[in-house]
Amino acid sequence: MHVYQPRLASDMMMLQVDSLHITRSDKEVLSGISFAVNRGDVYALLGGNGAGKSTTLLSLLGFLVPSQGRVCVKGNDVCDNVAAARRAISYLPESASLYEHLNALENLEYFLGLAKVEVTLSDIESVLDRVSLAPAVRTRKLGDYSKGMRQKVAIALAMLRDSDILLLDEPTSGLDPSAIDELHRIIRGLADAGKTILMVTHDVYGACQVADRIGLLRNGKLVGEFAADGKHPIDTEAVHKAFALNTDSVPPLSV
Amino acid sequence: MNTILRIAAEEWRYWLRSYLALGGVLVFLLLVLSSSILTKLRIDAETHVRTHQQSAAEQTFLDQPNRHPHRMVHYGHYIFRAPAPLAIFDPGLDAVTGQAIFLEGHRQNTPTFSESAASPDLGGLAHLTPALIYQLFGALVIILLGHGTIVREREAGAITPLLSLGITGNTLLLGKALALLVFILLLLLPLAITSVFALSAGETPLAVLVLFGVYLVYLCLWGAIVLGFSAIMRKRGVVLAALTGLWFVMTLVLPSVAVNITTTTVTVPGKIETDLAMLTDRRKLGDGHNAGDPAFAKLRASLLEKYDAKRVEELPVNFRGLVAMESEQKLTQLLNEYAEARIDGENRQQRLLEKWGWLSPSLAIAFVSRAIAGTDLMHYHHFQRDAENLRFSFVQGLNRAHAEKLSYQDDINRNKDEASWQRARVDASNWQVLDAYQFKAASLTERLGNASSSIGVLTVWFLAMLCLLIWSGWRIKP
Amino acid sequence: MVSRDAMPFDLEWLEDQAMSARKTCLNEIRFATRDRTLGLWMAVVLMLSTLSVGSGLVEVRHQLKTIENLLGADQQDRVAESSKLNDWGSAAYYSFHLTYAPPSEFAYAAIGQRDTQPWKHRIRMLALEGQIYEQDVINPSVALIGRFDFSFLASFVLPLVLIILLYDLKASERTAGRYNLLESMANRAESLWRLRAVIRVSAISVCLITPMILAGWFARTGFSTLLLASCAVLLYAAFWGVVCYGFSAWRKSGSVILISLIGCWVLTAVVIPAATRLLVDRLIPVPSGAEILMSQREAVNDAWDLPKDVTMDAFFKRHPQWSNYQPVQSSFEWQWYYAFQQVGDQKTEQLTNAYRNGRLQRDYTASWISLLAPPSLLERTLQSLAKTDLSAHLAYEKEVRSFHRALREFYYPKFFLNEAFDKAALANRPEFVAGK
Repeated sequence: MHVYQPRLASDMMMLQVDSLHITRSDKEVLSGISFAVNRGDVYALLGGNGAGKSTTLLSLLGFLVPSQGRVCVKGNDVCDNVAAARRAISYLPESASLYEHLNALENLEYFLGLAKVEVTLSDIESVLDRVSLAPAVRTRKLGDYSKGMRQKVAIALAMLRDSDILLLDEPTSGLDPSAIDELHRIIRGLADAGKTILMVTHDVYGACQVADRIGLLRNGKLVGEFAADGKHPIDTEAVHKAFALNTDSVPPLSV
Repeated sequence: MNTILRIAAEEWRYWLRSYLALGGVLVFLLLVLSSSILTKLRIDAETHVRTHQQSAAEQTFLDQPNRHPHRMVHYGHYIFRAPAPLAIFDPGLDAVTGQAIFLEGHRQNTPTFSESAASPDLGGLAHLTPALIYQLFGALVIILLGHGTIVREREAGAITPLLSLGITGNTLLLGKALALLVFILLLLLPLAITSVFALSAGETPLAVLVLFGVYLVYLCLWGAIVLGFSAIMRKRGVVLAALTGLWFVMTLVLPSVAVNITTTTVTVPGKIETDLAMLTDRRKLGDGHNAGDPAFAKLRASLLEKYDAKRVEELPVNFRGLVAMESEQKLTQLLNEYAEARIDGENRQQRLLEKWGWLSPSLAIAFVSRAIAGTDLMHYHHFQRDAENLRFSFVQGLNRAHAEKLSYQDDINRNKDEASWQRARVDASNWQVLDAYQFKAASLTERLGNASSSIGVLTVWFLAMLCLLIWSGWRIKP
Repeated sequence: MVSRDAMPFDLEWLEDQAMSARKTCLNEIRFATRDRTLGLWMAVVLMLSTLSVGSGLVEVRHQLKTIENLLGADQQDRVAESSKLNDWGSAAYYSFHLTYAPPSEFAYAAIGQRDTQPWKHRIRMLALEGQIYEQDVINPSVALIGRFDFSFLASFVLPLVLIILLYDLKASERTAGRYNLLESMANRAESLWRLRAVIRVSAISVCLITPMILAGWFARTGFSTLLLASCAVLLYAAFWGVVCYGFSAWRKSGSVILISLIGCWVLTAVVIPAATRLLVDRLIPVPSGAEILMSQREAVNDAWDLPKDVTMDAFFKRHPQWSNYQPVQSSFEWQWYYAFQQVGDQKTEQLTNAYRNGRLQRDYTASWISLLAPPSLLERTLQSLAKTDLSAHLAYEKEVRSFHRALREFYYPKFFLNEAFDKAALANRPEFVAGK
């Protein structure tokens, strides 16, 4: 049955979180947060440990059901059709560990098969080229990889899935500066190619570098939101508050 | 030392706070205790019944009226085997062997009617005894409790801080081992209680002590395996899965596989086959019921010469009785030859099975445990030899009465009429040739001698696992 | 968008679904082939299964060979004894007849009660009760441990292998941080776990069953028996698969799940069977076998001293057709001898029936309770397919009894009609035919 849906400005909104409340084992971990991510944007959710960042991602994937409010992917409520939401999303969990007993190609083949994505070997090779994973290591078992190399494979997986939206959970944690740099380059490139990216991180500086917009999360509440496009000043005080930092002890932020 | 104690105490605190560990131990203790109580009640009842049956059988034999002595040879007698005191812990082979033998002339019967023959078949593990629980589930409970000792610390990232405090890997291991040792001693408490009952039933203290010692060694060797695995491997799930796999291969698979291979390597012919094979030899011996059998011509000639007589009727003894004695003696010799061959075959199978202890310590402990409890193959053979000795002595006693107390004339005319039938009898006082019987476990030295090879296997296992433990202690690195 | 409900029989859609399901399966199977743990356990199970049916076949061949040898030796013995025979009585006394129950074509998979219950006898016309309980003793050390046959492997070891392979189906992915990734990747997350469980259970089952089926082909086992046995084993594997799957969904650490599953195994494989055995033995009394033997022996022995009329009257009550027979006035005659042998059997009839019915009832009760203990249930099922269970043993006992009756029916007319002894007529003696 065809349902007429008017093309609205909100069609640009790929992810939409609307006064979301989530309760986990009788504790409210998210209390009414709202934000939206537009097509082609990188949105970074910043916050300390336990702020509710990963919980937000899990609710977008339909793993957690809101007690109040709603989450929408491409304008559709996730709870109505979890499978559709998941199809639209590539999810990269924190310290994404793929199978250590398989090599990069086998891992990608397996996970893509699981997601029913048809790709050829050359597709895989070219994406691995794009994330600059050296060809020599591609047939080595993931168990021998460094953390950065693993993260590259995981990113490649998210890219190969070719979904419109990417959810990245702490993609840079535990990586060395050059790997972080490379990762940011890749993320930016994806956004420029039209992908919508929501990443959660507690890396303030990194977020400022890569994101278009930044949301600040603290104790399950969105305590601040601002654009990080270089044109607007950054609310340093809000950032400090979000991490409960002593304002004097950190250098000022600049973009 | 202080550090070791502290590590051990910490481990115990962890166990006490883990419901799963507590639950597992509780279930184990419950299982051992209930099985111990049930086994004790059953064995006590059986001891009572068999002792009673034994004296009743003896009394019935003695109460028989005046008869032809050969009638008594065929009337026969039963002997019963009362369980050894430690059978309340390890009934061993009693479950599958008969506990009574019918003794009669010219035949060696086998023990009849094992307990399991009339029980429903619910699988091999349905014969639960305290000993089996220790052998199988004692090891399992140690795995359950001990698998996490080191690997848990490693997964929590606590190894590096501990080592950086100057605690060596072996100190850590020693502390955990101490905690596990205390736990093993706790597990052995039901065995200790059972032992007290066995002592009061007349078992020697040393036997009880040795039994306790071998189970301690057995459980400790499992403890060493568990600690070693926990120290070497990196993931808790892998440790547990590997140990569980090792456990069921050692306790369930290998013993039965050993049986398959042993029975095909050494075959012991069954009774019917032996009986048939024996028949040719038996025919040469002659029929003891028939004094005219040519097989006894030599006996006849030598007797006639000895007593300077022309015919057997002139002999001062009953020739038929002497023939019975002679033939019984020769027959027994033949029967014993075959019986010993069978016992020898069974012993060879047993020794082969014992060798499998090198692969599975639970097989080794099973043999040691049965040997010390007096419920092993050696005691089963003892019972059969006892039975044979008793049988031969009373049958020959009756045959002697036949030869000396019954005249030849009366004997050969016994079927003529009712009066001669009544005359061909001897006085019932002759039935006193029957000895009273009570089964006794072999001396401790003999039991230990029989168990020595398996004790050796167990000791080597224990030492090897200790080495593994020390080696793995060195390998504990951040 | 077209709603699927609108066209429920859209063939193309169905085909697409089937295609994609096939691809998902293949993807998972390819994944499983790279799983070294699974490969290791498959190899172990394949090896153990081959070993168990292999030694089962060897044992069955050994038993058949034994029967063949015994038949020859038995025949020779009767020929050798024939010189001693000079009347009907001694012919009956000195002639033994071999009775036996050959192993079925499926016995290689479950030796069952053939190790503990007698399956061959040498019977003569004396009181049967004294002979039928005679047992070929096997080495008790061997009997106690028990054989490693296929039924033991499938019933007791298979669940443990499945537990080890399935307990951390989800928990391991959870600790590795892959759980959410996998779930977000798979379209229907639950079907992924189900598929993985099914593949592991099937892989192990195939390794378990294949040697059994090959051996069945070798031993010419009936197709339906093999099919039923395979179905039983598969159903059983599926049962444990479901149990493991259920536990693996538990949001607990892998060790907790594994320990709980092993707890289930201990409960169903050990505790329930052991408790059942104790309970059944206590609730359903069975006369002790020794009691039968003793009372039978007492009866036969006492008969020597009893007035002959007492024995003969008891005998004629059962066989009125011979009651006009006139005893000879000697203190011994075969008619009387065999009559008191039979009366000895008659006196223990009640005990014998009680022993038989008691065992049957115990077995029957146990079979109901074994519904609570799947390992016992499967072992019993395989034993009944292999005809190595109690009812097969009792059927053999029945055959022996009817053969013994046939022997008596052959000799009684000769005794009581005072037929002249004729060695040639001995060739018409009934012969034991197994399975009749």
